[in-house]
Amino acid sequence: MSLLKIINLHKRFGNLYVLRGVNMEVEKGEVVVIIGPSGGGKSTLLKCINMLEPPTEGKIILDDIDLTAKGVDLNKIRQRIGIVFQQFNLFSHLTALENITLPLRIVKKVPKEEAEKIAIKYLKKVGLEEEFASYYPHQLSGGQQQRVAIARALAMNPELMLFDEVTSALDPERVKEVLNVMEELAREGMTMIVVTHEMGFAKEVGDRVIFMDGGVIVEEGKPEEIFTAPKHPRTRQFLSMIL
Amino acid sequence: MVGIGQFDFNLFIKILPDLARGALVTLKFSSLSILFGLIIGTIFGVFRIIKNPILPKIAAAYVELIRGTPLLVQIMIVYYGLPAAGINLPPEVAGVLALSINSGAYIAEIIRAGIQSVPKGQMDAARSLGMTYFQAMRYVILPQAFRNIFPALGNEFIALIKDSSLLSVIAIAELTRTGMQIYAVTFNAWTPLLGVAMFYLMMTLPLSKLVERFQRRIGGHESP
Repeated sequence: MSLLKIINLHKRFGNLYVLRGVNMEVEKGEVVVIIGPSGGGKSTLLKCINMLEPPTEGKIILDDIDLTAKGVDLNKIRQRIGIVFQQFNLFSHLTALENITLPLRIVKKVPKEEAEKIAIKYLKKVGLEEEFASYYPHQLSGGQQQRVAIARALAMNPELMLFDEVTSALDPERVKEVLNVMEELAREGMTMIVVTHEMGFAKEVGDRVIFMDGGVIVEEGKPEEIFTAPKHPRTRQFLSMIL
Repeated sequence: MVGIGQFDFNLFIKILPDLARGALVTLKFSSLSILFGLIIGTIFGVFRIIKNPILPKIAAAYVELIRGTPLLVQIMIVYYGLPAAGINLPPEVAGVLALSINSGAYIAEIIRAGIQSVPKGQMDAARSLGMTYFQAMRYVILPQAFRNIFPALGNEFIALIKDSSLLSVIAIAELTRTGMQIYAVTFNAWTPLLGVAMFYLMMTLPLSKLVERFQRRIGGHESP
């Protein structure tokens, strides 16, 4: 059974028509990589999945719950969906540790000491030693900030992780350390939807690749199919430009 | 008898304790008012940006009404006007009320700007972790907003210390009124008024230095 089902999703911002009927399903444990040109609706799709952007039309179904239905407790649902952003979005007035413990404490009501233990555990998981716990975001490199952001999302124990171009704002030499964390996460069986321009990651880690353009899914398939024998001319054109 | 325009050093020394007492009253009224003004201003500042059909309009009307009328008139309305509506307030209460409502409007604008200075991604991140709008405001947005607007709030406090001199019209024995009373008794204007000015400076100068230092600190390592 699929963990996530998106049915006929449309999103409009005033006159701007960003998503024009997206249908997709994601199985438990699957890693879906979304590629495509900027402005194709990839990021908006991710923000619709956790309802940060309410869809104009269509349904988002997580584990039999329709998130677009009235009366759904979105704050509860969002605990099950982690998202990591391009701009990290760490809380700049809090230390790395506090960034992780704050949501644990006020959303999940975890006691302070336990929250700190969980935070340290996840910081280590993303390769950050305990000494970084007391650092403020501006004292960390982009790659370190992004790993704290991943740890913050993971600490909430989500069933689904969304990654929105998480390496696009990083210095080239910092990209690998973030991708490695994501690769390990995929190996452990986390269900992931990854919007990225890192084609190497898409090929090696993705179970399925989706090419989006103009607010629709143009083509999808196994990475080797998409990258070696794309069927649609738009996919071919996009890949020829970036590979 | 000393002439009206002469500075009398002996008188100056003699009235220092009275002026100091007046300065303390000034400080008390400004502190109470900035405190209540902060509460009022935070509520209305949040109202201004909240997604709601009515609250932003109410907040905007309040801000325009207060900023568009003189504080002196507001003080007199609260003290002389409200009794006509059956509400009698002691001058101290009327004074704090008028000053709080007044500074609340200016602080609401400062808070609104402060909230808008926090990048939108902070709210996205907070909500995506399951926080309610209120929790995100309380734990993520407002702490950062306050850090950004601390200098502006300091300046507002300085302005309030000076503006509280208008409370002298409703017979509150704050610094300015104390000075005027000494003038009325001694017929010497220079001595008490220079003393009054000196005491205001003793309150405002350290504060503006503090604000300046804070501004530098924020400018020093503002995170993206």
